[in-house]
Amino acid sequence: MVARIEISHLDKTYIRKPWLWGKAMLRPVLQDINLILPENRVLGLVGESGCGKSTLCKVVLGIEQATAGTVKINGQDIAGLSGTQWKPLRQYMQVVYQDPYASLDPRMNVRQLISEPLDIHGLHLQKKEREQFLKALLDSVGLAENYLDRYAHEFSGGQRQRIAIARALALEPQILIADEPVSALDVSVQAQILNLLKEIKEKRKLSVLFVTHDFAVARFLCDEIAVMYQGKIVEQAPSEELFAHPLHPYTRQLLSAVPSLGKKKQLLAPHAFWEESRNEWPCPFAPRCQNSLDVCQYTLPKIKEVYPGHQVCCALENKLSEEPL
Amino acid sequence: MSVSPILEVRNLQISFVEQNRNRLVLRGLSYSLEKGRVLAVVGESGSGKTVHALGLLSLLPAAARISGGEVRYKGQNLLACSAEQLRQIRGAKIAMIFQDPSASLNPVLTVGQQLIETLRAHESISKEEAARKAIELLDKVGIPNPEKRLDEYPFQFSGGMCQRVMIAMALALKPDILIADEPTTALDVTIQAQILRLMKDLQQEYGMAVIFITHNLALAAAIADDVLVLYGGLCMEQAPAEKLFTHPLHPYTQGLLGSLVSVSRKTEHLPAIPGNPPIAGEPLPGCPFAPRCSQATEKCSQKLPPLFAKGSCYVRCWLEEPHGSTH
Repeated sequence: MVARIEISHLDKTYIRKPWLWGKAMLRPVLQDINLILPENRVLGLVGESGCGKSTLCKVVLGIEQATAGTVKINGQDIAGLSGTQWKPLRQYMQVVYQDPYASLDPRMNVRQLISEPLDIHGLHLQKKEREQFLKALLDSVGLAENYLDRYAHEFSGGQRQRIAIARALALEPQILIADEPVSALDVSVQAQILNLLKEIKEKRKLSVLFVTHDFAVARFLCDEIAVMYQGKIVEQAPSEELFAHPLHPYTRQLLSAVPSLGKKKQLLAPHAFWEESRNEWPCPFAPRCQNSLDVCQYTLPKIKEVYPGHQVCCALENKLSEEPL
Repeated sequence: MSVSPILEVRNLQISFVEQNRNRLVLRGLSYSLEKGRVLAVVGESGSGKTVHALGLLSLLPAAARISGGEVRYKGQNLLACSAEQLRQIRGAKIAMIFQDPSASLNPVLTVGQQLIETLRAHESISKEEAARKAIELLDKVGIPNPEKRLDEYPFQFSGGMCQRVMIAMALALKPDILIADEPTTALDVTIQAQILRLMKDLQQEYGMAVIFITHNLALAAAIADDVLVLYGGLCMEQAPAEKLFTHPLHPYTQGLLGSLVSVSRKTEHLPAIPGNPPIAGEPLPGCPFAPRCSQATEKCSQKLPPLFAKGSCYVRCWLEEPHGSTH
């Protein structure tokens, strides 16, 4: 399988410069990330707010620079690329953001919104052909062609997200980065957009890096899931394997907290209290972990393959419970 | 068992006045709430769920006004109360917690100052006594080191901790009713589970009635005794929780439950409800759900169905019209 995106030993540290004096504060947000996004697959990044999933997207998109490590897109290292060198990569890789109210320019109509990337990359320049292309594109995301002359404020949240998806697909990319694309939508509309993303992915043979905080959404769409906690990948496995045998205590805790119909008792099960603070322990999850031992205080766990394709980063890797939840 | 309800809402209507146009966003909502019960109000954005909650305590923004109905708390119509009477009820008898905990706390006052202020506003107690009570409250909602935390500012608390402080503040005066407007939406799932647990425990301990407003059906299933489904400013269905989730009557409720992604099994295709939710305040002559409903008939788009009673459930759908009735 060809790797569309290959991330190896990626670190990202934000530096906060003091206002007047004192030492600069270093805040590591991504630590030793290794991921491969293969062709025509959906890789899910799941984690809570502040775990670094969006930062990872920004680094891949070239919006943020990596502190260490490499990101290769279709085999090409993106470190230090110039604007001109980025241009073909941008055509190759597009993004859909969370909030369709913020990601569409209110002063542009749908035609302008979708044409902008086409103009920049010099595609479908002939008027007649462009028109046909735009109509076909709108149709493929479930919008009527007479919407072309309307502005973003005339649409509902779900329709806007469809426009944002159409805009991302206009350049016919191979890679789609989706940063929480359904989190801002209502339940009834969320289901429509999830179906659409799945259909598009299959039709266009897209590779998708799908960021979400919602395990249910990830299960629906993803082939492979990486669970992140405070900048580290704690567990990674093919989607169904992960749900059948969640190993890492964090994954298990997160899964048991997902509200779901018919899971009333589990949802209200008492949870140990923890303070959500950064700590100096090698394993970031240790202070919250119900299984943590002394070993967790001085050993930095390494990510290890426990089953074929199923990796987990925990000092207790051999003694973890494998019961499904 | 007939208990006199602690809160009775009758035909509550709320509209927004906008450029000489009256947009009716809540089109007549009625329910009654008994002591110690949890009512979940479920709806999508624009369904009127938050506006309804603000309306109960006359906390609506300037552009909105209550255009009809009444809200009776222990027999007293809250909508007819003076500002002073309302001030005594708010917080002390009916408390409210909001969606974004960090936005509901004052950033320039310590948590302790805000808790003490709440306590002293309604009870004549000394500062020292109020401080002691505040520490007790923080301890109660599970904040470690309450003595130390009392002197900290909201920015030193995480989102989940801020929501705990809000709950402490809401419970400070042992209210009869707690209105919680999406209290866990801004929180991570693990924190959400903690807050739900805490709310449920405290609700049972204090015997409070709770109005739990949410867009998340699974949360409603976990916490509520009764569920009210709002759509387009109207109650579509009201039923005891176990009935609503096992035998939903209204096509909208059925569609909503069907379009939930499940974490416990792999779904290939979601049976999504087509179309988009209606724009708030632009009422259709018929059922607001008719344009999206697969079972809609001509009647549905012409005439608004009333709420039909069906056992302990109420449903607003022509399909559930009892046979032989002439309406």
